[in-house]
Amino acid sequence: MTVLNVQSISKTFPAKQKQGVVHANRDIHLQIEEGQIYGLLGPNGAGKSTLINIISGILLPDQGSVTIYDKDVIHDTEAAKRLMGVVPQEIVVEMAFNVEEVLYYYAGMYGVPQQERNTLIEAALTDLDLLDKRLAKARTLSGGMKRRLMIAKAILHKPKFLILDEPTAGVDVALRQKIWALVRRMNEQGTTILFTTHYLEEAEQLCEAITLIDQGKVIKQGSLKDIQKEFAENVVAFELYDNKVEHLPNVHENATQFHFPITDLAEDMQKVIQHYGDNLKSVKSEAASLEQIFLQLTHHGN
Amino acid sequence: MTYMWALYAREVKRFQKLLIDTLLSPIIQMVLFLTVFGITLQGQDVEGIPFVTFVFAGLLMMIMVNSSFSNPTFALILGKNVGTIIDLQLAPIKPGSIGLAYALAAFSRGLLTILVAMLITVWFVPEFTISNPFLMLVALLLTGIQFGLLGVTFGMIAKNFESLTIVMGFVLQPMIFLAGIFYPIASLPAPFDLISRFNPLHHNINLFRYTTLGYADTHPMLSLAVIAGITIVMYFVVQRVTRTALRKSYS
Repeated sequence: MTVLNVQSISKTFPAKQKQGVVHANRDIHLQIEEGQIYGLLGPNGAGKSTLINIISGILLPDQGSVTIYDKDVIHDTEAAKRLMGVVPQEIVVEMAFNVEEVLYYYAGMYGVPQQERNTLIEAALTDLDLLDKRLAKARTLSGGMKRRLMIAKAILHKPKFLILDEPTAGVDVALRQKIWALVRRMNEQGTTILFTTHYLEEAEQLCEAITLIDQGKVIKQGSLKDIQKEFAENVVAFELYDNKVEHLPNVHENATQFHFPITDLAEDMQKVIQHYGDNLKSVKSEAASLEQIFLQLTHHGN
Repeated sequence: MTYMWALYAREVKRFQKLLIDTLLSPIIQMVLFLTVFGITLQGQDVEGIPFVTFVFAGLLMMIMVNSSFSNPTFALILGKNVGTIIDLQLAPIKPGSIGLAYALAAFSRGLLTILVAMLITVWFVPEFTISNPFLMLVALLLTGIQFGLLGVTFGMIAKNFESLTIVMGFVLQPMIFLAGIFYPIASLPAPFDLISRFNPLHHNINLFRYTTLGYADTHPMLSLAVIAGITIVMYFVVQRVTRTALRKSYS
């Protein structure tokens, strides 16, 4: 089932210091299927946050449509918003309230009945290691804790679709791991996830599919596997202790290495390892990393 | 409805956190007015009502107007400044419900302030009575919601606290003072008496004074109709302004 369907989204803003407009998004199409962890990637100023804001229902596009589980975000905003949780990029917390109060009222604003709120708050705070801070003023929390509080707000009402706009920006490694562990857990429990991040290795580990955008346009889209395949050198490269053995079909020698063409990266790697066993000196795939693909496509590698 | 009441409860909690600040300023203002008028205009009356009692009813309504206007305005402008307005932008609450939640919280703050102010200052005015308690509550509820909605509208549009100071100083306060708090409109020479009747705030003060002291410059039912009409219009204005503002302010 399609969770998010973005069709032909374009958005312009007036240019600040010159005449004309800035094209933040140009004719963007995007579909996310139920159960996916989907990455929206791109350099700074690519238009990721603008797109996230349009999907979240807080910014109107100039043209195009967005639906979440068939609810029209632009015209049936409240119905669509009920289905999603959003962790915005900026860290902002209520000045007057403590952590528990922040969550209590926010849960109510998403329609969570009073009698269920305390249980959900406790679960979210436990998940995010904030239970001992429940009575602390939100404004006195550290940056990482505030970030976790914002995530807690977004997941309290158990959304079917969770949007995280750079959730790990400015947080330490340990916390980053915790956040991604939570994201994986939520995904296993059925939540579809859309996130943006600057940490491409994280996207590589987490995402099944990605959209790369640059200067407001989609420059690559699809399953990470397919994209990597497209950009890889298409081989499992390996070295042997003893070269005079019976080789797998289609293996050819290349200087000191042997190359085996890839159809499915994981399966073919396994084939090579099983066939050559202890004779293998080294083995690696030549699949391009997401970072290499990213740099190549956005021409930021030069 | 949970959505709206949660927002209402949050806004009530917010002013409860600042209870002393909320109550102290209007009460001091009221005590000062009553002291000055009580001393300088002792013995004077308006159609048999001691002047200080006449003013007392107007001052209570002034507190209601100021409190209910400033409560949502401060909360929304502060929210824009610190970024917490995003909570309203993301939450699945209809714009009309957002307006009503803030307006009801504004009424609650106004009512609490009035009750405390009355308890503290009523000894200045032993002749003060409540002639129609039910209609008085209706007048207070409608006024609180009316100015709460006005506050929401302004809070959604205003960019900073300077705009609020300008509106309160140059628009709201002159309207309050020219609405007949300190004098009966009927005592003004033509055409000022007629002009004053077109000041929407005159009707709030007039109705409240009628429900307490039984005195009215304008027919109280006309005032009730004007207040109700403005409140309904404001509700639709708030719906429109809120939807537009919440989708704009983040871009």
